[in-house]
Amino acid sequence: MSRPLEGLRVIEFGTFVSAPYCGKLFAGYGAEVIKVEPPRGDIARAHGPFPRGEPDPEASALFLYLNTGKKSVVLDPRDPAGRGRLLRLIETADVLVENYRPADLAALGLDYASLAERNPRIVMVSITPFGQQGPYANYRGNNLIAFAMGGQMYITGTLEGGPLKNGGYQADYQGGLNAFSAAMLAVLAAERDGRGQHVDISIQRCMAPILEASIPYYCYLGQWSGIRRGNHMASFIGIYPCADGHIGIHLMPRNWKPFLEVIGRPDLGEDPRFATQADRVAHNDELMAELYAWAATETKHDLYRRAGAGRAPIAFVHTMADLVESPQLNARGFLQRIDHPVAGEAVYPGPPWWMGPGDWDAGRAPLLGEHTAEVLGSLPA
Amino acid sequence: MSQPLDGVRVVDLTMVWTGPMGTRLLGDYGAEVIKVESPRQWDLLRALGLIPRDVPRWYNRSAYFNHNNRNKYAVSLDLAHPLGRETVLQLCAISDVLVENYRSDVMDNLGLDYETVRSVNPSIIYVSMPGHGKTGPEKDYVAYGSNVEQLAGLVSISGYEEGEPMKTGFSYGDPMAATALVGAVALALRKRRLTGEGSYVELAQRENLTMFVGEHIVGYSLTGELPRPMGNRHPHHAPHNVYRCAGDDRWVAIACETDEQFRALCTVIRRPDLADDPRFATAAARKANERDLDPEIEAWTLQRGHHEAMHLLQRAGVPAGAVLTTPELVADPHLRSTGAWVEHTHPDAGTWEMEAPPWVLSRTPGHIRLHAPGFAEHNDWVFRELLGLDDARIAALYAAGVAADTPDESLHR
Repeated sequence: MSRPLEGLRVIEFGTFVSAPYCGKLFAGYGAEVIKVEPPRGDIARAHGPFPRGEPDPEASALFLYLNTGKKSVVLDPRDPAGRGRLLRLIETADVLVENYRPADLAALGLDYASLAERNPRIVMVSITPFGQQGPYANYRGNNLIAFAMGGQMYITGTLEGGPLKNGGYQADYQGGLNAFSAAMLAVLAAERDGRGQHVDISIQRCMAPILEASIPYYCYLGQWSGIRRGNHMASFIGIYPCADGHIGIHLMPRNWKPFLEVIGRPDLGEDPRFATQADRVAHNDELMAELYAWAATETKHDLYRRAGAGRAPIAFVHTMADLVESPQLNARGFLQRIDHPVAGEAVYPGPPWWMGPGDWDAGRAPLLGEHTAEVLGSLPA
Repeated sequence: MSQPLDGVRVVDLTMVWTGPMGTRLLGDYGAEVIKVESPRQWDLLRALGLIPRDVPRWYNRSAYFNHNNRNKYAVSLDLAHPLGRETVLQLCAISDVLVENYRSDVMDNLGLDYETVRSVNPSIIYVSMPGHGKTGPEKDYVAYGSNVEQLAGLVSISGYEEGEPMKTGFSYGDPMAATALVGAVALALRKRRLTGEGSYVELAQRENLTMFVGEHIVGYSLTGELPRPMGNRHPHHAPHNVYRCAGDDRWVAIACETDEQFRALCTVIRRPDLADDPRFATAAARKANERDLDPEIEAWTLQRGHHEAMHLLQRAGVPAGAVLTTPELVADPHLRSTGAWVEHTHPDAGTWEMEAPPWVLSRTPGHIRLHAPGFAEHNDWVFRELLGLDDARIAALYAAGVAADTPDESLHR
């Protein structure tokens, strides 16, 4: 057997980031993923970055990355003939991944109840900001709105700067990854007894419980101190500018001595203000001043190698250039050069996890409608 | 009701956050998870509960531990002792999955590498969750929570406009690797059902999170340009930001993606003139002039609570969301009405609310059937029922200090 999802057929009726990332994982691990696009294409095709900054629906880095290994079928679900083809396609599938607003999907007649009547073994995966039920189910959202309502935004950034989302489309990626894991559970169940189900992924509900200890402490102890702390949880957990970039330290109590050896500052170990973690908390600002002064003298690659050898938890803030040149990622084969007929060759990361030789094959993103004739032509009459 | 992972037994050798949260998710959806802790090296999360050390069995009352370890059994075994190693291999022989998140060399040093475990159970699914991976020049580097997102490239594209790179508000890589673990195990279970073969699965936390910035890696390799932090902005849409509301540090996020949504926003804030203003009439014009637009919107939001602003805008079809704090998440009427928080009782810790299983699967919805185990709570069941050890053998484990009913409290005083 080649890849672990060989033989599974997935219809992706989704757009932008969350559903496409879920579909990308299915495709990479061997499922046949048929991406259904409206005549104008997935809206990700309109988003950059683009080569030379020139918009081109076949050269959007966002689209190219999120849609590797898929087939593209163009049909218009609002047109009765297009909707009919989509329904017949869904009848042939094991999994349907979608990320439309529940009311909009129901208006197309594509709600779970209707689809399950046609295909009782279908695993339908719905990824939305707020899930399928409840008072906000049909509220409109995107990555930013989910970040706000999922609690991750309030704790990100500085007190004075205001709540901040993380870079890129992190809420949407979280939705896509949660959806893939949940969908795989439903696939296991369906392959056991032949019955599908509706998998309801609320991005808000996935995001809210994972704020480190904040939910447990508040729920159990009633304690909450969730202010935004910028780049420092404490002086010894945070990011500092160095001579050619930024470095990050994350020191547990047992890392203090190895850390001082790596940075060549045994004197700080003798300083009674910093003797224990409690002392370091009590003299936070003084230690932070020491660390700012020290970090400014370091260069990121040199420090990172010394920290690795000395087993101190220090990393540096990798830019995209650092990632592409990373000795670690390149040694592991995590960066693959993939060619594309319009965009040309580019570097793609993957897989998210390794299962054995040949278990992941990203492939390239499809051109708009590249597989329409092939896929629709093979539908049973 | 049956669950997707019914009948799947998991040997859980993980500690702290990412591994335990991942195996808890397996437990939420039906797996029988057996957590193995050494009496001398037990889970740090038991010590991070803010529970005074003079409280009896304080190490069983940590909510941080109890949220991430429900739906598990616990056995105490020191894997560094030959008897402990032998016993855990017996457990592996009758299990389906092993999960570990030690630094890359630890399992090899314990003599519990994949080949050894496979020799006692050829169809085992063995999952390692190291920071950097088990190979490569950086495999033994130490990387904790916040380091992972720095290595993954995320920090370099996060931050305020023209500001320095900014960390997330938590150890983001941990729950993402935990979430990925379920998909990885499910893939391996499907492969085993089809081929009869087990798997060695390697989930490097750093790589899993690097997938979340993939478009920027592709983009950089196509253009040679480094992306910069852009705050809460969107590359094409405006307005797309957070706005101050009435109250102390209260904010609402607003994200207009169409002209129609922008016109609706202007109506709600009673500024129809803005919709016709050439500076804001088209998507491109709004994006170019977004800094002029923000104060006009904030003049309205400042007069309203963040929930009120959200509801007024959403009812008109405008994407808006209150920036919620932890207490507001727990009180959120939407999350509450969908069962996201559930009451839970633990014999040592009492009764409180915790998060329900995150994914709503209509036919196999996940459930909380076991409270988080006290330290060594299920030694007897594991030793006698599962492994069939006799009294003399069990006594030997205790006599050697390999098993114990209470942890060495001096570790995390």
